[in-house]
Amino acid sequence: MKQIARRDRLKIYGDLLSLLYAESREENIVLTHVQVQLKVPFDRLKMYISELNDLGLIQDQTSLKLTEKGKQYIVEYGKVLDFMKRMGVAYR
Amino acid sequence: MDPYAYQTFRVIYEATSAIICFILVRYMIKPYQITRESRYLGLPLGFGFLGATYALSSFVYFQPYFFGNRTIYFQLVVRTLAFVFLCVTYFFSRRSGDSRRLWNTTIALLIIAFLASFLLVIIPDIALPNYQLTSSFTRILNLMCIVYLCVHTLRSHIEKPDPKTLWIPLGYFLLGISQYSLIIYAIDNSMSAWWGALAIRWAGLAMFLFVSYKSFYNIKKEMNK
Repeated sequence: MKQIARRDRLKIYGDLLSLLYAESREENIVLTHVQVQLKVPFDRLKMYISELNDLGLIQDQTSLKLTEKGKQYIVEYGKVLDFMKRMGVAYR
Repeated sequence: MDPYAYQTFRVIYEATSAIICFILVRYMIKPYQITRESRYLGLPLGFGFLGATYALSSFVYFQPYFFGNRTIYFQLVVRTLAFVFLCVTYFFSRRSGDSRRLWNTTIALLIIAFLASFLLVIIPDIALPNYQLTSSFTRILNLMCIVYLCVHTLRSHIEKPDPKTLWIPLGYFLLGISQYSLIIYAIDNSMSAWWGALAIRWAGLAMFLFVSYKSFYNIKKEMNK
């Protein structure tokens, strides 16, 4: 079985927010789609969503829409990931 | 070349190199700021130390008698440490989270080496080795570090080919050529190698600046669409 490298919380937040942002273009956000793509158990996904809500990065735990702060976070996150890729620095 | 004109040129050249490095530090610190992973601290530290040595060189050319001869040894050692910082960052970036303790130990050792080199320079009673020999040795070490950086970034590019990731190996390659030219200069005093080294160093640093700017500016444009 292929082992998934350990991810820190900031990376999970970044990945989760990016997925929620991509999914929000659809009519409804399907959490199981997000769970499969994020590769985390469902209970942990719910925990991360609750943490994002507490941090003010999503509007509420039902709609899962990103706040302005959440959108700003993924912009910064995307820039840094792109920079690291260009620099040849691995981020796992 | 007129000595005064040469001195003025070197002050400006070294100061410009230092400014480029300090601008790069602003970008290089972002991976650490967003991930809080200490293993990415080597990037800003490496470019920061490199910038500090260029700034010191600029000051030494401006005020040659202010610090004394021992400063040139300090510059050599700190510049080598800068490249070592970059190497260990790239080395640890490929390793998983369990290497965190090893990274912390390595960074602590490098900081101790930096402080020890500082003490060696400021304590006047300690006899320093021949400058020519020390400079050749440190430049060879720098070249080895840059070759590692070049190979590492090139390997990342080959693993996932993307035109965006080709510039950084090229940047390190230019810095390597610059160091190689300095070794040639140290061996046979070739002035063309010396001037070539200076020009190529600028080109290498400009490449890093270009990549940093491109990376942060382009994404902004994409998000604004």
